[in-house]
Formats: sequence, C-alpha cells, structure tokens
Amino acid sequence: MNSKPRVFPACRLYIVLFLFILFFAPAPLAQAGEPPENTYLAELIDKGLHAKLASAREWHLLLHYRKNLFGGHTSEQDDPGFFMSPNGKTDPQAELDATLKQFFSDELIGRSKQTAQCAFIARYEWLRDQLRFDPTRLPPHPCERFERWFADFEAQSITLIFPSAFLNNPASMFGHTLLRVDQRGQTDSTRILAYTINYAADVPPDAGMAYPIRGIFGGYRGYFSTIPYYLKVQEYRDIENRDIWEYRLNFTEHQVRRLLMHAWELGNASFDYFFFKENCSYHLLALLDYADPDLHLTDEFLFWTVPADTVRLVASKPGLVSGIAYRPSRSNMIRRKRESLPASEGELAHRITQDLGELTSPAFVQLGLTKQAFLLDLASDYLRYRIETTDSPPPELKERNRAVLTARSQLRIPSQEFTVVPFAKQPELGHKTSRASVGAGWRNNDTFEEVSVRAGYHDLLDPEVGYTPDAQIEIASLTARHYNRADQTRIERATLANVLSLSPIDSVFHAPSWKINAGMDTIRFGSCQLCSNGVLNGGIGAAVESHWLKREVVFAFAEAEANYSRAYKEDHRVGGGGTVGLLSDLTDRWKLMASGTYLRYALGDKSDDFRWFVGQRYTLSQNLALRLEYNHRAHDNDVMFSVQAFF
Amino acid sequence: MSKKVIMLSVAVLFGMQAGLAMAANPDTGPGCGLGKLAWADYKNQKNIGPQVLMATTNGTFGSQTFGISTGTSGCTNDGKVMAEQKTTMFAQLNFENLSQEMAQGQGEHLASLATLMGVPAEQHAAFFAMTQERYTSLIKTGEASPVAMVKAINDAIAMHPVLAKVSTR
Repeated sequence: MNSKPRVFPACRLYIVLFLFILFFAPAPLAQAGEPPENTYLAELIDKGLHAKLASAREWHLLLHYRKNLFGGHTSEQDDPGFFMSPNGKTDPQAELDATLKQFFSDELIGRSKQTAQCAFIARYEWLRDQLRFDPTRLPPHPCERFERWFADFEAQSITLIFPSAFLNNPASMFGHTLLRVDQRGQTDSTRILAYTINYAADVPPDAGMAYPIRGIFGGYRGYFSTIPYYLKVQEYRDIENRDIWEYRLNFTEHQVRRLLMHAWELGNASFDYFFFKENCSYHLLALLDYADPDLHLTDEFLFWTVPADTVRLVASKPGLVSGIAYRPSRSNMIRRKRESLPASEGELAHRITQDLGELTSPAFVQLGLTKQAFLLDLASDYLRYRIETTDSPPPELKERNRAVLTARSQLRIPSQEFTVVPFAKQPELGHKTSRASVGAGWRNNDTFEEVSVRAGYHDLLDPEVGYTPDAQIEIASLTARHYNRADQTRIERATLANVLSLSPIDSVFHAPSWKINAGMDTIRFGSCQLCSNGVLNGGIGAAVESHWLKREVVFAFAEAEANYSRAYKEDHRVGGGGTVGLLSDLTDRWKLMASGTYLRYALGDKSDDFRWFVGQRYTLSQNLALRLEYNHRAHDNDVMFSVQAFF
Repeated sequence: MSKKVIMLSVAVLFGMQAGLAMAANPDTGPGCGLGKLAWADYKNQKNIGPQVLMATTNGTFGSQTFGISTGTSGCTNDGKVMAEQKTTMFAQLNFENLSQEMAQGQGEHLASLATLMGVPAEQHAAFFAMTQERYTSLIKTGEASPVAMVKAINDAIAMHPVLAKVSTR
C-alpha cells in the first residue's frame, strides 16, 4: 500500500524531468548547431555578399536607390513598409540581408498584407535567380493574388501615354504621362479596355492654395494605381480636351512581366511627390528602367522631369518605340471636322444644336445620307463639348443631344472614319525644355550685351512644333545685361512665372484667355535711368483666330498690375488697363508678335504707362532660333537681337 | 462642370461604401452594389462632387479604388475590376460615349462593349447595326439603369439570328 505513493512521486519527477527536457532542450541545441533554416539563410547571405548583389544595378533599381552627393545611397521610396530592414532606406546591404531573412517567413507585411515573397515578388524572383534558391530549403510561397492580378492584364506590351499640356489646371500644365498595359488580342478599337499604370499625388479635397506649395516641396504622397484606360480617355479627351499621344514600346514579354512584377511591389510604396522632379514621369521611367536595366532613363534627370522631356528621351532610344498613335481631343476633332466642311454646312450643324427644327429644313433634308450623318455627328460633338465644359449645363443641352442622336440612329448607316490631323505635332519633335540665349542691342543712348537662362518651358514666340498652340509657361528665368556707356552690369530681368493662355473664340468655343506674371524688369522712370521694378500682373481676355496670311491670333486683355520700385513715389504703384496684340505665323519658321498695353495707376505713384512690343523669331533648327525684339515705353526704347539655344 | 457628372458616376460606384453601410442594404452584390445604386443616389452624392472633381487630375479616387495590391474595395480587387462587374461597370462609366456611338453605328466604346459581351470582331458590324436600330429603347432603359441596358442588349443578342449563334458569353 505504501509502495504506490512512493512510486508516484518518483514517476512524477521523471515526467517533470522529461517535460523540462522537451521544453528547454531545443534552445541549447540551437546554440550548438543552428536549425537548417538559419544555416541556409547564413549561406545565402554569404553568397550574396560574395556576388556583391547589394551593389548590383538591379538591386538599386528595385529599391529605388540613388547615389548621394557625398557617397552612400538613399532610396527615393518613403514608405517604411517598403523596406525589410529598419536601415533599408540608406543601407542596400542591410536591406538585402533582411530581405533574404524575410523570405523564410510567413508573416504578412507591407500595406498589401502578403508574405515578403509575394509582396516583393520582383525582388524575390531576382534573388532566386541570382542565388539559385533551393526550393526544399527555402520553399516558395504560392502568390495567388499576384498571379490573378497579373493574369487579368493579359499583358502583351506596354504603351507610354502622353496627354498634352492643359493650362487650366496647374497640376497638368506640363502634361502628364502614364503607361498602358496592352492586352493580347487587343485591337485599335478595344485598347480603351486595357489597364493603365498611373502614378499620381494623393491631394486632399480642400487643398486649395496649399496645393502648389506642397506639390512643389513634396508635401503630398504619390501612389500607383491601375485605372482603366477608358476612364483616362474620358478625363483627357472628353472633359479636359487634351490631345493624347500613345507610344508603343518594344518590350519583350519577359520585360513586360518584370515591369508588372515591380509595379505590384509599388503597391506597397509611396513616394513624396515633388511636382518638378519626382513626379508622374520620373517614377514611370523608373518602372521602364527596371523592365530593361540597359535603358538608363532615370539617370538623365537631375533637377526636374518634364513629361514632354521623358517622351523625347524615350523616343530617342533607338528601337524602343515601335509605333506612335494620336488620339485627338474632342475640341480638336470638332475643329478638323468643321474645317473639312463648306462654311454653310458647318453653320447648319451649329444651327441644329440650337434649333432642332433645322432637322426638317430643306437645307438639311436635301443632303445625302452620308452628309446628314456627318453633320449630325458634328452637332452631337458640339453639344457634348458644351455639356462637358459648362458648369451645371442646362438640361435642354442633354435633351437636344438625345434628339440629335435619335435622328442620327434613324439614318441607319454607320459613320465613316474621319482622320484628325493634329494641330500640334508630336511632343518629341519640339524644342527642349530649357533655354539659354545671348544677345546685343541698343537702349536709349547706350549699347548692351546680355545673357539669359530660362529653366522652362515655352513662350509664345518659341518654335511651336510639339507644344500646345498659343500657350506660354515661363518658369524661373534670369537675364543679366552689361551696359557699355554706363559701364554697368545688372540683373536686367527675372521671371518667377509668366503663364499665358490664348483660347481662340468662335461660335462653338467660348473659353476665355488669361495671363499671370510675377517677376522683375528694368525701367527708366522719372530721374532714374536704370531701375529695378517688381511686377505682378494678371489679366483676362479673349482671342480670335484668322487665316489672312497663314494663321493669326488676335487677342485683347483687361488686366491689373502692381509695381514695386524705388523709382516711384511711395515706392509702388497699382493700377489697371488693357493689352491688345497679334500673334502671326508668317511661315513655318518665322513668327511675329506685336502688342500694345495701356495701364493707368491709381494707387501709389499716380501715373500711366503706354508700352508696345514687336518681336520676331526665326527657327534655325529644332533647338536653335533667332530673335529680334523691340520694346518701347515712354522715353525708353530697347532693341535687341539674340540667338537662343534649347537644351 | 460635367466633370461632375462623369466623376459622380464614379463616386456612385466607388465612393459609396459609407453610404451603403448606412442604407442597410447588405445584399448589394459582391461588395459592389452596382445594380441597386445605379443613379438612384445621384443627388445624395453632390457633396462628394468637389472632392471627386479634384481627384480627376490628382488621382484620389484612382489611388484608392484602383490602387495596386490594395485588397478588395467596392467593385475592385487589388485595383482590378472584378470579372463579374466588368461589363456593367464599363456600360455605366461610358454611358454617354456609348449612346453617341450606338446612334452612329460604330465606335471604339461600342466595339469594346461588344467584345466584353463576347461578340467576335467579325460580327461587330451586325452588333452595331442592332444597337443602332434599337437606339431609342436601349437609351431609355440605360438612362434609368445601365445595368438594365446591358441586360436588354444581352436579350437582343439572344434573339438575333446571327449574333445569338456566335456570341460566346
């Protein structure tokens, strides 16, 4: 009887001992000889170190590392979830080691909540190929989400899309770029079904005036998305009336897959959005660079990335672009259709949009069916243009469009193809973005030489090929002049921003023209011979187009201006007035502009100002032009001849 | 601007999660609720207008709804339109372009709709003629509900002597 209780304690002791060994044995064991997983990790890290993978170009492309000015690297990526190592943003080697380690883990990481192998599938596949992962020691994870996403593209090729500049929104003044993932079996008429890869800043709805400032200095986050191309076409062609250029890229299927794998990873990324450099264009170039690391596209941009420049760069790479397609904005389609008609028929189409009774008028009924269809299509385009560009459009516009379309459907014939010839040639044929010029001339009783540099982008007299017609954006320009007789060297002019948009008005198009300018120039005023003068000017007006010679645009503005200079009493003057002017293409290379301005200043130094300007440009080549300019103000005449080079 | 109109329709499709929850309509399809929404809530979306408007150029709606690998949201999964929503969503978001092209008997939006509905390219002309002929009734249906319009087109395909035989969906 007694033996039993004695046995039990002993037995218990053994059990406790056994459990103890079971629980704690693995720890000392691991110290003695690591588990197979860790030894394999150590092996891989070692192999990676020997192969110098952390300094390989591909690794730097995948992690978006850029060389620092004073050695070392920093990633342009700003989301900590993008890195496996806490030091990943600045330490490529630590990031590589941490990435290899994370590939062994089932933990769901990043914004996309997947295992590292799937969330960073391009890194995984590249390292797998470089280090020849042993699938038995590092088992691959099935990445169903990625595979479904990838399969859904039915990807065959990539097209670079460039919607041209749209001045009425500061965010798109320089145009935009995005990629389209073309589908297998896609035709010209089904390409709108393809997805795009779009990079854009996430701007809060109430951004208001903070937008430009935060946009320039990286105050917003940019993200990648796959918006269907049909929504993009609607946005640019139908709503904003911007021409779209499509550049089909010559990528192999393997390169397309690389691009999409990296795009998938960027779902976990966010970049601080810098309007001038790290913008849509810059980050798309990074994607193209990963697809084909030999391209070296991002290397070419140091200070700013202008969408048209990226298009120019891509188009300049031999064999990269296999085809260019043009998609006209609705407004340009209307213009070309109207041009193709005798004036009377164009007017008839316009009358239909105002009075449906025209549909039964003899003038319309006597036309052939094809012509009737063409006029009704044009009428519907007019109406849709009005509906899309009017604030809260009156409902009768929509009703009239329905009625026109109903009449159109009853003709029972399909519309014929109409090819729209673009007004602005494709962007890569245009001059480069920055401009430097040297010039010499006379001012009053003196002679001078000057040099001038402008960061961007295009003014009304610059060669117009490839640029939105009648639009000017000058950013950051500086001019220094030396006056010989006065023996004085001074900053003659400086421009912060000088933006001007002329929109020719006619029966269909009613958009106003506008301008805004902030900068300084040099004036002769009162007793002051050469005086610095701060200028702030804004105006709104209208323009009309004509074809007396080749093409002319006549414009008029009502404007307000504020000046600041020590030449004035109380150092300033504020007033208003107007400008009239003419812009004329004399030949393909020769352009003329003339304008006269009268301003009356009612505040500060009460005075008035009458000035006029005549300027001419002659294009020598894509990036070289000559200028002759004459500026007149009261007792102040300035003539200058200059050579301008774009770079 | 009628930017609003188009983008409101996007808002109706995508921006409705909050509104949906309050409307207590749990059975609105696979997280998308396209059929019930249609244009019924158009007016209530007015306040979303400016926000979505802004989004057109800066991608707010895009980066949320179509954000790459962002999981499921509304009609999209990891930024891709769910397969069963593709046709109706296309019809809804392109209604104005579709109605113009139906009347005109051709066009890329109409060709794309035909492709989504399984009509092979060599029969597109027949499809175009059919939608042109039924323009008035299709548009009337479509203005009330683009989903119903897709259904009406499907029915018309089924009754069409040629299209019924070749259509794959």
